[in-house]
Amino acid sequence: MPQPTDNSARRISRRTVLRGAGVTMALPWLQSLSALADTATPAAFPKRFGVMFMGCGINEEQWSAEGQGDQMKLSKTLSVLEPLKKKINVIDGLFNKAATGQGIHPAQTGSLLSGAHITKGAIIHSGISIDQMIANRVGQDTLQPSLVLACDIPMTGYHETNFSLAYSSHISWQTPDSPVPVEVYPSLAFDSVFENRGSLRNMSILDRVRDSAEALTRKVSSGDKSKLDEYLTSVREVEQRVDKMRQGKDKAEEAAKQQNKPTFAMERPANGLPEDLREHTKLMCDIIAIAFQTDRSRVASLILVRDLSAMIYPFLDVREGHHGASHNNLSEGYERIARFHLSQLAYLAAKLDSMPEGNGTVLDNSCLMFLSNMWAGRKHDNMRLPLVLAGGLGGTLETGRTLNYLDQSEDKRKMCSLYLSIMDRMGVKLDRFGDADTRLERL
Amino acid sequence: MPRRAIPRIMRLAPGLIALFAIPSAGAATSAVEQQFSHTVRPFIDKYCVGCHSGASAAAQFDLKAYTTVESVVRDHPRWSLVSDKLTAKQMPPSPMPQPPDEARQQVIEWIKAMRMSEARKNAGDPGVVLARRLSNAEYDYTIRDLTGVDIRPAREFPVDPANQAGFDNTGESLTMSPSLLNKYLQAAREVGDHMVLTPDGIDFAPHPMLVETDRDKYAIKRIVDFYQRQPTDFADYFQAAWRYKHRAALGKPALTLSGVAAENKVSPKYLSMVWQILEEPADAAKKEVGPIAKLQSMWRALPPPSDPDGVLRAKCVEMRDFVVRIRNHTAMQFAAPVVRGIPAGSQPLLNWKYREFNSHRRDFDRADLRNDTDPEQTVLPTIPRFPGLHQEAAPRWAAVTAKARAGDPDLIVPAAERPRYEASFARLANVFPDAFYVKERGRYFPDDSEDKGRLLSAGYHNVMGYWRDDTPLQELILDEKGKKELDRLWDEFDFIAAHTERTWDQYYFNQSGEVDGKGAESGRPRPLDHKVTDEAVIFGLRDAYIAKAEAAKNPVAVQAFKDHFQWVNDILRRMERLHAEAEPHHLDALLKFAGRAYRRPLTKAEHDDILAYYRQLRDKDGLSHEDAIRESIVSVLMSPYFCYRIDLLDTGDNAHQSGTIRLASATSGGAAVHPLSGYALASRLSYFLWSSMPDQELLAHAASGDLHRPDVLLAQTRRMLKDPKSRGMATEFGGNWLDFRHFETQNSVDRDRFPSFTNDLREAMFEEPIALIEDMIQHNRSVLDMIYGNYTFVNPSLAKHYGMPEVSGGEDHWVRVDNANEYGRGGLLPMAVFLTENSPGLRTSPVKRGAWLVKKVLGEVIPPPPAVVPELPNDEAKSDLPLRDMLAKHRENKVCASCHARFDVFGLAFEGYGPIGESRTKDLAGRPIDAKAMLPGGVESEGFAGVEAYIREHRQADYLDNISRKLLAYGLGRSLALSDDLVVQRMVARMPANGYRFDSLVETIVTSPQFLNRRSPESHEKPDLPLRKGD
Repeated sequence: MPQPTDNSARRISRRTVLRGAGVTMALPWLQSLSALADTATPAAFPKRFGVMFMGCGINEEQWSAEGQGDQMKLSKTLSVLEPLKKKINVIDGLFNKAATGQGIHPAQTGSLLSGAHITKGAIIHSGISIDQMIANRVGQDTLQPSLVLACDIPMTGYHETNFSLAYSSHISWQTPDSPVPVEVYPSLAFDSVFENRGSLRNMSILDRVRDSAEALTRKVSSGDKSKLDEYLTSVREVEQRVDKMRQGKDKAEEAAKQQNKPTFAMERPANGLPEDLREHTKLMCDIIAIAFQTDRSRVASLILVRDLSAMIYPFLDVREGHHGASHNNLSEGYERIARFHLSQLAYLAAKLDSMPEGNGTVLDNSCLMFLSNMWAGRKHDNMRLPLVLAGGLGGTLETGRTLNYLDQSEDKRKMCSLYLSIMDRMGVKLDRFGDADTRLERL
Repeated sequence: MPRRAIPRIMRLAPGLIALFAIPSAGAATSAVEQQFSHTVRPFIDKYCVGCHSGASAAAQFDLKAYTTVESVVRDHPRWSLVSDKLTAKQMPPSPMPQPPDEARQQVIEWIKAMRMSEARKNAGDPGVVLARRLSNAEYDYTIRDLTGVDIRPAREFPVDPANQAGFDNTGESLTMSPSLLNKYLQAAREVGDHMVLTPDGIDFAPHPMLVETDRDKYAIKRIVDFYQRQPTDFADYFQAAWRYKHRAALGKPALTLSGVAAENKVSPKYLSMVWQILEEPADAAKKEVGPIAKLQSMWRALPPPSDPDGVLRAKCVEMRDFVVRIRNHTAMQFAAPVVRGIPAGSQPLLNWKYREFNSHRRDFDRADLRNDTDPEQTVLPTIPRFPGLHQEAAPRWAAVTAKARAGDPDLIVPAAERPRYEASFARLANVFPDAFYVKERGRYFPDDSEDKGRLLSAGYHNVMGYWRDDTPLQELILDEKGKKELDRLWDEFDFIAAHTERTWDQYYFNQSGEVDGKGAESGRPRPLDHKVTDEAVIFGLRDAYIAKAEAAKNPVAVQAFKDHFQWVNDILRRMERLHAEAEPHHLDALLKFAGRAYRRPLTKAEHDDILAYYRQLRDKDGLSHEDAIRESIVSVLMSPYFCYRIDLLDTGDNAHQSGTIRLASATSGGAAVHPLSGYALASRLSYFLWSSMPDQELLAHAASGDLHRPDVLLAQTRRMLKDPKSRGMATEFGGNWLDFRHFETQNSVDRDRFPSFTNDLREAMFEEPIALIEDMIQHNRSVLDMIYGNYTFVNPSLAKHYGMPEVSGGEDHWVRVDNANEYGRGGLLPMAVFLTENSPGLRTSPVKRGAWLVKKVLGEVIPPPPAVVPELPNDEAKSDLPLRDMLAKHRENKVCASCHARFDVFGLAFEGYGPIGESRTKDLAGRPIDAKAMLPGGVESEGFAGVEAYIREHRQADYLDNISRKLLAYGLGRSLALSDDLVVQRMVARMPANGYRFDSLVETIVTSPQFLNRRSPESHEKPDLPLRKGD
C-alpha cells in the first residue's frame, strides 16, 4: 500500500508546476470505504459544508424542478440528480442584491458567498464568504480548516466594468482584502489533506526551536533556565499535538488493514494539471469526499469553472470556450455544459451517500450547495440564481423538496438569508450576514 | 547639580559597586536583627496580628508570616506601608488598644533602619533579571523595526500580565504556554506571509503576499508612488524659471538655475530645457512664431518680482493649460495594423500600438494644423459609435479629438509660413510631451471610457497585462539615479509578480486561439511535451501569427509579431536568469535577517545551521526556493534568541577584564556580578527607550565595544530619546505606570446616555497622555509638566469634548493647546482617559479617581479593599444623596476611613468632571457640583487646581520619588529591591539642578550599576521571586 506520508520528496514547487506541461491522469486508487472514520465513534457526527460553483449561468429552459420527494419531476439538466431526489432541495428565486446593478460578471461573482459590496479598480475589497465564516468557527477541530479548490486557473487583470478579474476567479474570501488562494493541482490538494503541509512544516520548525532552546538552557542560569523551560515545555506540547494528529491517521490505517477492510489504496495524483477536465473535476470531488469522510476538513469550496472562463469542452462537442458559449445559453451545447457541471454535484453527493456514518451516510450529515453567479448568460441576469442543495445536515435540513421563492418580495428571497439558515445548522449563529438579518422562510 | 557630576562609569563592575558601598554595613546588620526579635516582633504580636493574620487577614496582609528580617526585606514595600500607617496613627484603628508613642516610634525607626541597612548592603546589585519572552508590545515593535512594516502580529495574543510594579516587561510576569506558543507560530507565519523576494534581497510588504493580486498590488504601488513623486507639472517649471529670472530682485543674485530647481523641488535637467524655450529663441535672428511665440509672450507678461497682485501662480497655470491644450490637440495617434483574421485587440497588435505611442510622445501630428487659406470648418466630425469588443478604438478616438480640436485658433497657421510654424510646433512638442507617463489605462487604450483605476494596466480584454509607458519621464525629468531606480522597480515588478509570465499564460489559454480562427476568447490546448513558457511554444505561436500577417501582406504586422514574441521570450528568459542569480543574495539576506532578529552577530554554528536548514527544506522536503526562505524566516522568528530577551554573559574580552564581586546580603545569595556584554547592553537600552530592538548605530557601538563608555552611552541615550521610536516608551511606560493601556477596549460607558463617547473619542482619550509623555521624552521637558503643565494635546474629537477651539483636519491631527487650564485641562490629572476609566458608567467614582491619583501619581501603597464592601448606586441620577454625602457616611466607619480618608477627598475634587471626563456643573441628577475637598493635613482645596496646588506645596517630593521608582523598575525590567533605593535617591537628588528634565532621570538609570551589570548565572540558583499579592 502506498504511504501517503512519504510523498514529501515528490512535492515540487508550485511555480514549477504552474509552468508544467499537461499530463493525463488516471484514477489510481480504489474506491474507498470508511476506514479512518471508524476508529472513533463520536457522540455526534460532524456536519460538513461544501460549495460547488460554475460561472456564467445555466440553460434556463432546461432547468426546472417540480413536486416533492419521489414525485419530484426534474428537467433535462437536473435529471442527473434523479437518483438523489430524496436527498436534495432545488431552490428557485433567490438572489444576491449586492451583486446586482453594478455591471456583469466579476461584479456578480465577487460577493456571491458574502453579500458584501465589492469595490472597483486596483484595490480589491469584498467580504468574508460563508464557507470561510464556517471554517473560522468549526475548522479549528480539523487538520484543514477548509479546502479551497478550483479546476480553473485564476485570472487577474480587469473586466470591462473595471472590476478586477480576481472577483471572477475566487468565491472564498477569508478577509475582505484578499481571496483565499485556490488550489488547482489535485496533487497539492491531496497533500493538503493527507500530509497537512502546515503541520508537517510546523513539526520541522518546532524540532529546530527545541534544539536551539535546549542548547541555550545549557548556557544560562538556573533562574533563566526555568523561564526557558516554559518555552521548551510549550514547544514539546505543541509538537505532541501535531504528532498526535499524524499518529491518529497511522493508527487508523493500521486498524483498517487488520480488519481487512478496503482502505485508502490511494496513490497521490501525479503532478501537473489533468489534461481532461472530466478527470480534473472527479479528482477534486474525490479529495473532498475523503476529506469529509475522514473528518480532515468540514468545509470545502470547489470552482468547477470560473466566471469568464475560456475553458473548452471538446468532449461535449462544443466549439466555443465556456464564456463565449454562455452568451448563447439556450443552445443544446450550453445545456450539456451546465449538465456536465451539475453532474459533479451528483457524483460527489452520491459518493458521500455511499459512505455510511451512524445510521445514515456522510451525505446525510453534510450540505453541498451548487450554484452559479447568474441565471441566463445571454442576458447576464442574476435576479434569480440556479441553486441546488444536497444533504440533510444531520437531520436539521429536510430534503426532497422544491422550494420556489420567485413570487416573494425581494427581502424574502435573499441568498444571505439562506446562508444564515445554513450557518445556524452548522452551529455558527450570526445576527446578520451580508444584507440579511432574517433566516430563509420554509427552509 | 552640574551634568559633569554624573558618576564616572568604569568598565569594571567592582568599582561601580564600591561607589555606593558603606563600610559599616556589618555592624548595622546585627543591630537590625536584634531589634527585630526584641522590639518589632512583640509589638506586632501585641497590636497587629489580631486582625492581620490567618486566611482572612485584614487587607490580605498576614503579619504573622514575617518571622525573619529576610522575610521583611523581601516584602519591604508593604512594610513601608506599615511605617506610613503607624506614622499617621491610622493603625491600629481607634477602637483597638493603642501602643505607647515610644513603642510606635521604635518600630517606625526600625523599618527605616532595616531599609537603609539593606539598601547599603547590596547597593548596585543588578538583582534578578529573569530571561523572558518579549511582551506583546515589544513583539510588535520589534517586528516593525525588523521588517520595516507595521504588521502587529501580536494583536491576537492574550493580554500580558503586569508585575508588582505594574509593568508588563518582566520575566516575573511574562510566561509561555502551549496555546501562546501556537499563537507565536501563527504570528511568525503571518510575518512570513508578508515576505517578498527581490533581485537583491528580502523585503516585507505591508500586506500579505498570498495571491497574485497581492503581489501585483505591492509592486504596482511602488511604481505609481514613484511616478507621483516626480515633478511633472509645467506650471512649477514656469514658476521656477520666473524665480531664476528675477533672482537678483528676489534677493538671491548668486542663485544658479540648478539652485532654483533644488529650491523649488523640480528637475534641474528639465528646468534648463524649459528656461531655454522661454528665453532663448531657436533662431535669434528671426522672430518666434506659433505656439512658442505665444508662450513666450505669456512668459514675458508674468508679473514683476514683487508680484503685487499675487497672480503669479495663476498666470503660470494659464501657461501650463495653454501648453497642455496645444499638445492634446496635436498629439500623435496610432491604430493597430489590420490583419485579416486577427482582432485589433490582439495583444501583439495592441502592443505594437503602445510602442508607437511610447516613442512619439515628443512629436506632433502635422495633419492637425490648418492653413489660414483652408475653407472654414463648418461640419464638425461625427463621432462613431463606441467600437465593439476586439475592434479598433482608434477611429472613434480620432473623431473625438478632431471635434475637440475644431475651432482652436492656435492651430491655424499662415499657409505661406507653414514650415516655420511647423518648426515651432515641433520644438514645443519636443520639450512638452503629450504625457510624461501613463499610470492608468482603460481598455483598448486610448478611448474615452471611464475605466479608471486600472493602474499600469495594458488594457487587454479580460486577461491581465501591464504596460510601461514613461519614456518622456526618463528622457526629460529623471537623472541617472532616478532612471535606475525606475528600471529596478519595473524589474522587481516582474520578479515579484511574474506578470509577464502570467500574462503569457493567460493569453495562451484564453486568447491565442484567435490565430486558429476560434475567436478572440479561446485558447490553445496545453502542449503535452513542453511548458507553456518554453521558447519552442512561444515561437511556435509566433510563426502562426506571422503566417497570417504574411497572407495579409502586411509587413508592419509581420514585424510587430516578430518583435512581440521575441520580447516575451526575452523577458521570460531574463527573469529565469534573474531568479537563479538572486538565490545567493536571498541566502545572504536571510543570514543578515537572522543576525538582526537575534540582535547580535550569528555564531559560526548558527550561520551554518541556518544554511543547512534551508538546504534540507529544498533538497529533502522539496520546497521551492521561496518557500524554503519563508520557512527559514519563520524558524528564525520562533527561535528563543528572537522572541526571548536573555542577557547572555559576554564570553569575549569583557569577561576577562571584569573581576567578579560578591554581594554580602542573604537575599542576593552572595551574587557575583558581571558587566553586560555590549550587545546585551544595546538590547537593554533599546528595549528601555524604544520597547524595540537596537538599530544599526547602536549595534555598531556594541560591536566596537565602546558602549560601556559613559560618553558613548549617554550620547546614544540622548539620540534615542529624540528618535520617534521613543513613542514606544511613552506608550508602554506611560500606559503601564498610569494604568490606561487597556483603555482602547473600555466598554463600561453607556453610549445611550453618552452618545458623544464614540470610538474616535475613545481613541483620542487614549492617545492624549501618550502625546503628552512622548512630547516630554522627545523634547526633554520637565517631569513636573506632567502635573503642573498648562498645556495638553488634542485632536478634533478631543477638542470638541473639552470645549476647546475647533481643531481642523482628521483624527490624526494633534495640536498642542497652551493655556489649557482655561478649559479645566492641562497635564495628566484632568485627562478624560483617567476620569473615564475610573468611573463605573453612569456615575463618577471619587473613590477610584482618588485611589488612582494617590497610587499611580503619588506612589502611595493602598492595601486592597476588604472582601465585603458596601455598594454604591450604579446611576447617580437615581440616588437620593449626592455621592459625596454617601462617601462621607462610609468614612464614618473608622476602619474604612483609615484608607478612604486618604484618597476619596482627591476624587471629590474632580467631581467637576462627569463619567466621561466632561466638564460639568451639575451631576446626572441635576444637583449642583461641589468640588471642594479637605485634603490630608487639613488643607482646604477646590477642583483640580486645588489638588495641583496641594501637590506643589505638600506632595511634590512624593511624586518625584514615585516617577523615579516607576521609571527605574521599568528600565530594569524587574521589581525594585531595597538595594535600588540609592539610585532612586540619586535620581531625585539630581533633578532640581537639571530643571527636572526627563533625561536626567534616564541618564541616572542607564549609568547605574544595576543597569550596566548582571548577576552571574551560577550566583542565583534560587531566584527570589517577590511574593505575589495574596500569596
